[in-house]
Amino acid sequence: MSGVSVEFARVSKRFGSRTVLASVSGTLESGQVLVVAGPNGSGKSTLLNILAGVLRPSRGEVTYRGGDGPVPRARWFERLGMAAPDMSVYEELSALENLHFFARLRGLAVADAVLRDLLVNLGLPAREQTRLVGTYSSGMKQRVKLAQAVLHEPPVLMLDEPSSNLDAAGHEAVAGLVARFRPRAAVAVATNDPREIAWGDARIDLAL
Amino acid sequence: MRASTLLSESLAVLAKELKSELRSRVALNAVGLFGLTTLIAVAYQIGPYQIQEQDRPHLLSALLWVILFFAATSGLSRVFVKEEDAHTAKTLRLAARPVAVLAGKFLFNLLLLAALYTFIVPLYCALMGYSVKGVPSLALVLAAGAIALSATSTIVAAIIARASGATTLFAILSVPLVLPLLVMLIQGTRAAAASAALAAVLPALRGIVSLGGATLIVSVYLFPVVWHD
Amino acid sequence: MTKTALRTSLPWLLGVWMVLVTLGAFFYAPSAEGFKGESARIVFFHVPQAWVAVLAFCVNLVASVRYLRRRKALDDARAAAAARLGLVFSVLATVTGSLFANVMWNSFWNWDPREVSIAILLLIYAAYFALREAVVDEERRATLSAAYAVLAFVTMPFLIFVVPRIYWSLHPDTIIGATGKLKLEMESRMLQVLLGSLVGFTGLFVWLYTLDVRLARVRLARQKREEG
Repeated sequence: MSGVSVEFARVSKRFGSRTVLASVSGTLESGQVLVVAGPNGSGKSTLLNILAGVLRPSRGEVTYRGGDGPVPRARWFERLGMAAPDMSVYEELSALENLHFFARLRGLAVADAVLRDLLVNLGLPAREQTRLVGTYSSGMKQRVKLAQAVLHEPPVLMLDEPSSNLDAAGHEAVAGLVARFRPRAAVAVATNDPREIAWGDARIDLAL
Repeated sequence: MRASTLLSESLAVLAKELKSELRSRVALNAVGLFGLTTLIAVAYQIGPYQIQEQDRPHLLSALLWVILFFAATSGLSRVFVKEEDAHTAKTLRLAARPVAVLAGKFLFNLLLLAALYTFIVPLYCALMGYSVKGVPSLALVLAAGAIALSATSTIVAAIIARASGATTLFAILSVPLVLPLLVMLIQGTRAAAASAALAAVLPALRGIVSLGGATLIVSVYLFPVVWHD
Repeated sequence: MTKTALRTSLPWLLGVWMVLVTLGAFFYAPSAEGFKGESARIVFFHVPQAWVAVLAFCVNLVASVRYLRRRKALDDARAAAAARLGLVFSVLATVTGSLFANVMWNSFWNWDPREVSIAILLLIYAAYFALREAVVDEERRATLSAAYAVLAFVTMPFLIFVVPRIYWSLHPDTIIGATGKLKLEMESRMLQVLLGSLVGFTGLFVWLYTLDVRLARVRLARQKREEG
């Protein structure tokens, strides 16, 4: 898929009487990593959810711009890969079964070997891949969640606290993933982790 | 761009549901046990001999559907509630077209109902001494009923999963919508039991099929709105 | 006449109208033939209540569809206002119908298709509010209840048209709804009072609905000001 950029202008979000985001603007450019930083509760996840099309903003606009012009909202998900703490995979399926399912949903005919390699690159060894995700540690689950986000090589990648639950090796794997996607995708990372903040080419700071 | 069709995506959702269900068997157990328990309670207290001959057609057809509907309600909302509970809903939302999700889950609920009917109906007929003259007619009524009931339950399940997800809410929302369907199903069952002619069940069948069809069509429009914020 | 003057005087006019309708129901309209005592007079209240319950349902549907298309909070407020009134009037219609049935046939409930229809409408309203209570987020509450309203509307034609056709074949000797019989053979004075009552109750619905929506408008405007 060709490069896609995500523009957001004056995005605000209220939940009842609580304002979580107040007029945030910016662009997710292809070939760039945008870091969204801020203390807990500052709206990092909310912003990413709005950019992903999962939440509607109270005010403001989000536009996905592809090679052929603006992408309709209903089709954003085709160009998007996302991993977040509130996005789990199916615990009653194995890691491989999960990935095969998501690949089929996205209309991809991906070879078993390709998915196995993807998991290995993220630090999930072959012998674990056929066990049910419900038996995994949180670090292993996180690896599967990341695999689910990237298996379709999306031009827009959103990672919400990607290194959470991961050890040093896991963090390295995520760093490798971001480095691999940086040249050809628009990447957004919401994080408090200074190591992850360091990945950013551009940065948005959210306040409480 | 997209190598797959809506059909293959829907079947992928269905396959995943079946795989998950066969491994955990939560819905199957709930539905089966509720059905069996109610049936045994009814059969034990009433059985084939306690109902007067002239009351048998009315009561036996109505009791059957009370048991079937009660059992079904315990399991039909799971398809969506478990996604929200397990936090897989958002992942699914970002991976699939809404109509594929709806179709896959509708088909799953349909198969769940088919399994329930296959299990309970023959058992009911045996335990309650319910003789059915038009077995193919009854099968048609059951099939049409399953489609209509699955259609209504799936969209209601989608709605309540985005609310509190409580089974009581599912029951409260389903009852007014399912009542007309139940009336037609009971009448159709009665007609099938009384006569082997297909014509006997046609009025009820027409009503059931059109209600099911209308619900399915409206669901296709409503589901994306309910599924996404 | 200015808008305010109209707004202030119409409710008074409505009040006078309803007093006239009530007086007419008891003193102007003759006793109906074949009904126990004066029990038939309940029809002048029961029929309009049922009519308003259905009208409210239609208003709720239109507002719900508009909300789903435009996502404006005022449309959700309109839908909820209509549903609140619909609930009240369907309770009233069910109760008055029940009372009448008890006087006439010594049983509060006869499973007449119309009785069942209004009872199901009541259940739909109750379910609608149960759903609204269960959702905290305002936008999601509006979307889900609007979706349910549309879904409920799909089943109504089956209730009103298809089920009675099937139901009749089960119980051919079921009493035809008293309201139906009365309408066909009504004396002109009774018809006048009935029509007057219909207009009055519709006016009552419009007035209460308008009040509720005006309140919602003010509330939403204040909310918007607070947001800045």
